[in-house]
Amino acid sequence: MATTPDGQNVYAEAVATGLWREIPVFRMLLGTCPTLAVTAAIKPALTMGLCVIFVLVCSNIMVSLMRKGLRPHVRILLFTLTIATFVTIADLFLRAYQPVMSEALGPYVPLIIVNCVIIWRAEARASNSGVLLSIVDGLAMGVGFTIALCVLATIREVLGTGCLFEIPVLPKAFPAWAAMGMPVGAFLTFGLVLGFISYVSRKRS
Amino acid sequence: MDLLYVLLTGFISVVLINNLVFTKFLGICPYIGVSGRIDMAFGMGLAVTFVMTLSGTLTWMIDHWLLMPLNLEVARYVAFIMVIAAAVQLVEMYLKKFFPPLYESFGIFLPLITTNCAILGLCLFLVVWGTSTLIEAVVLSFGGGIGFTIAICIMAGIRENMQMVDVPESLRGAPITLITAGLLALAFMGFAGII
Amino acid sequence: MLDSLKHFARESWLLVVASVLCGLLLAATNAALGPRIEVNKALKLTSLAGGLLPAAQAFAPLSSPVEVKGLGGETESAAVFRATTDDQTVGWVFKVVGSGFADKIELVVAADASFSKLVGYDVVSSSETPGFGDQIKDAYYRNQFTGAPVGQLSLVGLGAAKEQDIDSTIVAISGATISSTAVVQAMNHYLPQLKDQLQQKGLIGHGNNP
Repeated sequence: MATTPDGQNVYAEAVATGLWREIPVFRMLLGTCPTLAVTAAIKPALTMGLCVIFVLVCSNIMVSLMRKGLRPHVRILLFTLTIATFVTIADLFLRAYQPVMSEALGPYVPLIIVNCVIIWRAEARASNSGVLLSIVDGLAMGVGFTIALCVLATIREVLGTGCLFEIPVLPKAFPAWAAMGMPVGAFLTFGLVLGFISYVSRKRS
Repeated sequence: MDLLYVLLTGFISVVLINNLVFTKFLGICPYIGVSGRIDMAFGMGLAVTFVMTLSGTLTWMIDHWLLMPLNLEVARYVAFIMVIAAAVQLVEMYLKKFFPPLYESFGIFLPLITTNCAILGLCLFLVVWGTSTLIEAVVLSFGGGIGFTIAICIMAGIRENMQMVDVPESLRGAPITLITAGLLALAFMGFAGII
Repeated sequence: MLDSLKHFARESWLLVVASVLCGLLLAATNAALGPRIEVNKALKLTSLAGGLLPAAQAFAPLSSPVEVKGLGGETESAAVFRATTDDQTVGWVFKVVGSGFADKIELVVAADASFSKLVGYDVVSSSETPGFGDQIKDAYYRNQFTGAPVGQLSLVGLGAAKEQDIDSTIVAISGATISSTAVVQAMNHYLPQLKDQLQQKGLIGHGNNP
């Protein structure tokens, strides 16, 4: 099995990086646009997360297969072309099998194309690693992104409507914070969660 | 007169009521990154406005005059992002050759703008809003850029003042910026319903 | 010349191959999923309509287009569906657009077979303020339109409704005047036009008492 310079298994390293050390939204502050838009409830957040996983893995595979022929001038163009193709495919699948979710997510699915997470992984990993490692990396980053989205979505949905997955979880007496469903709630929740994570990391180190 | 009314209300709508940053969550990455100082923020805002107007118009034209008549809507996203990337490249080369001082002041921002979700986001919103005329597309794209510039300059002003304030350690940097953005979004909600 | 061509080919062969591959992928996916997406688009309106008129078995679009004037004066083609059970008309379903607080409000409205009373409406899309204008989606507001006459509806505040006009009076949502007005205005604007058009086409009888 391949190992990194400090002896760790390369695949385990990739998983750890994607799921914690360099988790896309919280640590790296990448891909924030869809984060704020789709985290009003858990269902859209999960759908977006799954789309991103699909696009990440597929684009990583394709870039990894092309990595030998990459020239400096056309690199970014190739990455963009690949990502745009897979995002279109994901969007078509969504419109065919989940039309309600597709309407709710609206233009944020095609915005996955400019989601920095995907280009970042294509550049940092897929363009210089084998196919299997790229797949593992794509999965790990995608799952990390989805976890980040779901954390935010849970907070916003529970506090904003008293429901989770549209099933009431808080007692009726709880006055739903309608602001959580609006842009205000999105920014505030995200800022406070980031602050909390920063606090926890500093306490640790 | 009717057309002017539609254009004016559309412009005000995109700048204030449906501000791209505060209601559509577009352009957050550069928003957090570049709003440290007012002059940098203004520069970024102008660059975004320029590119946005150009891309919005171009993508609308390609969508209405090429993709829809030929039933090639499936290639829409690929076409849009390619056009945006090409437009940014062209703008960069053109500015470098003919307006060097302007190019210098835009600096690092131009290459960053390609992956700015605000540009692609606006082009897609033009499709969602069913923009039916070219002039409408131009005005809405320009308005989107102006709205972004206003948002980022307000934020820069606030952040400059916040440097003299004692922000808790955990909240320094991105968290407090986001919280401020949330309060600004709350303030901008007040514009809803003015037209 | 040949040298520069060779250089160009060497630099960009991957781009060309990738473009062709991506194009094929897109075309294949589109061909496979296209029909299903079309079906979904058509179903969108009728699935909401099914909730309004549960007795209906089928919703058939009209063979000739219905032209109405939109809120801004522009001419548009209205999507009208005839709801049928065993080939008998049980109602009419159509879309109206109102201009709400934040953005457009799209409603799907159902009227009875003689187009004289409303059966109700459902919200297709709106971006109203949650907790305020959003209440146009709630049963409390929507139920007021059930049995309302197809004619001019008037909007009043809470407690101001007069007994004799109770059918055509709609009580506004407290704190959401603009959203409530948008719904009533949309109805008042489109309904008379649609009724007129349907009567002209001979699809409903004349002389129905509103």
